[in-house]
Amino acid sequence: MLDGLAQDVAAERRVVLFWRVALLVAILCGWELYGRFVDDTWFSRPSLIFARIWTLAGNGLAGHVLTTLTEMAGGLVIGVPLGALLGLTLGRLPVVAGVVRPIIFGLYSIPLVTLAPLFIFWFGLDLTPKVILVAIVTFFLLFFTTFAGVQTIDRELIENYRLLGATRAELLRKLIAPACLAWILSGLKIALPYSLIAAVVGEMLLARSGLGFLLMFASQQIDMTGMFAALVILMVAGVAVGESINLLERRVMRWRVLSV
Amino acid sequence: MTGSLIKLEGISKTFQRDSNAIMALSPTDLSIERGDFVAFVGPSGCGKSTILNMVAGLLRPSEGRLFYGGAPVDDLNLHVGYMTQKDTLLPWRTVTDNIGSPLELACRKTPKTERMDKIRQMIDLVGLGGFEKHYPGELSGGMRRRVALARMLIYNPDTLLMDEPFGALDAQLKLVMHDEIQRIVGIGQKTVLFVTHDLGEAIALADRVVVFSSRPGRIKVIRSVDLPRPRDVFRIRFAPRFTELHEELWDQLKDEVKKGVDT
Amino acid sequence: MTLATRDSEDRIILAAALARTDLRPATRMQWLRELFARPAGRLAGQIAIVALLLAIWQFGSGRFLPHVWVSSPSAIFARLISWFVDGSIWIHLAATLSAAASGYVIGSVAGIASGLALGLSPRLERILSPFVTALYSLPKVALAPFFVIFLGIGVESKIALVAVTVYFLLLYNTLDGLHDLERSWASAYRIMGARQQEIIRHVLLPGVMPWIFSGLRIAVRYAFTAAVLGELIAGNEGIGFLIENSAGNYNSAGIFAGVFVLVICSVTATQIIARAEKAVLHWRT
Repeated sequence: MLDGLAQDVAAERRVVLFWRVALLVAILCGWELYGRFVDDTWFSRPSLIFARIWTLAGNGLAGHVLTTLTEMAGGLVIGVPLGALLGLTLGRLPVVAGVVRPIIFGLYSIPLVTLAPLFIFWFGLDLTPKVILVAIVTFFLLFFTTFAGVQTIDRELIENYRLLGATRAELLRKLIAPACLAWILSGLKIALPYSLIAAVVGEMLLARSGLGFLLMFASQQIDMTGMFAALVILMVAGVAVGESINLLERRVMRWRVLSV
Repeated sequence: MTGSLIKLEGISKTFQRDSNAIMALSPTDLSIERGDFVAFVGPSGCGKSTILNMVAGLLRPSEGRLFYGGAPVDDLNLHVGYMTQKDTLLPWRTVTDNIGSPLELACRKTPKTERMDKIRQMIDLVGLGGFEKHYPGELSGGMRRRVALARMLIYNPDTLLMDEPFGALDAQLKLVMHDEIQRIVGIGQKTVLFVTHDLGEAIALADRVVVFSSRPGRIKVIRSVDLPRPRDVFRIRFAPRFTELHEELWDQLKDEVKKGVDT
Repeated sequence: MTLATRDSEDRIILAAALARTDLRPATRMQWLRELFARPAGRLAGQIAIVALLLAIWQFGSGRFLPHVWVSSPSAIFARLISWFVDGSIWIHLAATLSAAASGYVIGSVAGIASGLALGLSPRLERILSPFVTALYSLPKVALAPFFVIFLGIGVESKIALVAVTVYFLLLYNTLDGLHDLERSWASAYRIMGARQQEIIRHVLLPGVMPWIFSGLRIAVRYAFTAAVLGELIAGNEGIGFLIENSAGNYNSAGIFAGVFVLVICSVTATQIIARAEKAVLHWRT
């Protein structure tokens, strides 16, 4: 029987936190002990891995992180505005939209990351192919989100505003722009993790720098410690991306003008 | 059996919302006899549904004691049927299967042939002949209500707990359902606790109307409805006695509703 | 009729004729609009656009952009045919399909089972959720080198990659389903006297099916992508290998042809699952 009593909720939180910490400690200790006393060739151990990360941090990690970040940012800066613009404009032309949408849908069904070799072929070794890849992936995602979003604007709401005497500018500012912001945000939520994946895929195929490169470099030398280090860094990057989305969402929600 | 079927002694309920304690129901006493049709009317949040949940054994009272059939209610009360405003039919099962679901449970396992018989009886009772193989998604709102009704009645509970069951229906359909309910309840001589916002509905259906105050809810007034049975629900509103009762109870109710709106 | 009147009559007729000419562009737009509103019209429009794009591609290749880079529909088609004619495609197709299919099955079964287990034990789910989120945030491709080192360069490492990718998708979909299930259904059953076991069997498991099938449908595409990615990164067979090989030989036609084959497989497989979904969830309106 659930009553939501405050003391029960707090107690539950403590129990959950305890078990989370316990689990983490157990995994790390178990791993460390196994590595130290049995065999650390294949799985390395936490102490070695963290030592390696520490070394890397003082010696070039920043450069790799910057590379990956630049690839992501570059692609997003291109893909988001283009995708959103096309989505918003096409979404409001139902006739054109009806014809064009299945085609764009068809194009999207191409797994975009598998085009990475093509872009590397076209643009060579450095950042450009990854930026293009991220840009295209982002473009499609933003396009679909804004396209679908624009079509859900309640016609009645627009009519109501018009009847109240809103000018086109006011309509745009108070009703349409905040809604657009919401769709762009939801598109970004999906696009950001994908941009990391696309950048990493590109780097794993051919690169001189970047987090994916770090991983592949270690793997080519069967340097398990290095590989796990790169893995941990990538995991942190992934979580950071997720958190930044949450942060962005909270920030944007604060400014957003409620259009009802 | 001596004594009332349902007895509330000093029942109250307090909920915890974040760090606030909200008393939904202040200590209340109430007795309900077998065969009584009792309507609970009052503003939102005054504890009417809470009482139903406590009688069903879904919630424990914060204070006081609750008796059903002479015994205290500790656990789920299997002698009651419950019908809410929400549509709780399983969309992937046919009308037949939905109605028969209480009889598939371990607590009252019934062999298939007997189950089918009972389902057939229920379908006839609520007038859904011809829709046995339909899915809830294919039925109108009123028909889904009838399936819910049939599912509730199939295991013949002594008491029916109904929480605004017809709230989502349009006015005409409501009247049709009132007629059905009256008929069905009359046949089985069931005890009914009926929660509603609609005072007219309460007076038309019930033997007694209980008006609750706004939160923390307490019983403001209980009035017996001395309109003769069986009632013609379609025309009962034109009876002078109906209007008298309505006026009197509405006076009591509207103050509470206003208070409820302001909180 | 005097000459003057006839003259003005002519003028009126002429004016009317001119007015109709002014009207014509507008009605033409309307006619077009109506044409594309009908599904047959839309399809015709789409075919026309695709044909146009292909024509531009074919024409432009070699003239606006180097053929080596962008290839052309004819070259791609020729490459595709050559693959089928000399039979080389079959090994690669088989490799990718088997990797995708095996990984898909393993990943979905494990993912659904985990999702159900976590969904039915709320405390366990709460404890594990940050771990699961961290694992999910990791780009799964990063695991590819690990799988290659532990499982070799063959199909097993690709199966593992596909399985891990699909696992998380199904895990989350199943969990979402259990969370989003109408609480009132379970409550109604509880009031009828159902025990927890019965609620799980009668309400939760059937109820979560729409979410599970949705996950299964979406995961097909990711299964293929993961298999191909694994092959791109390290492999000696499969569609991914074909793509990577073509890229290495500066053969853009090969890249496009490989991607085309991949898309056909992915879309077909998704359609199969979508049909199965419709059949199982036939009660949905």
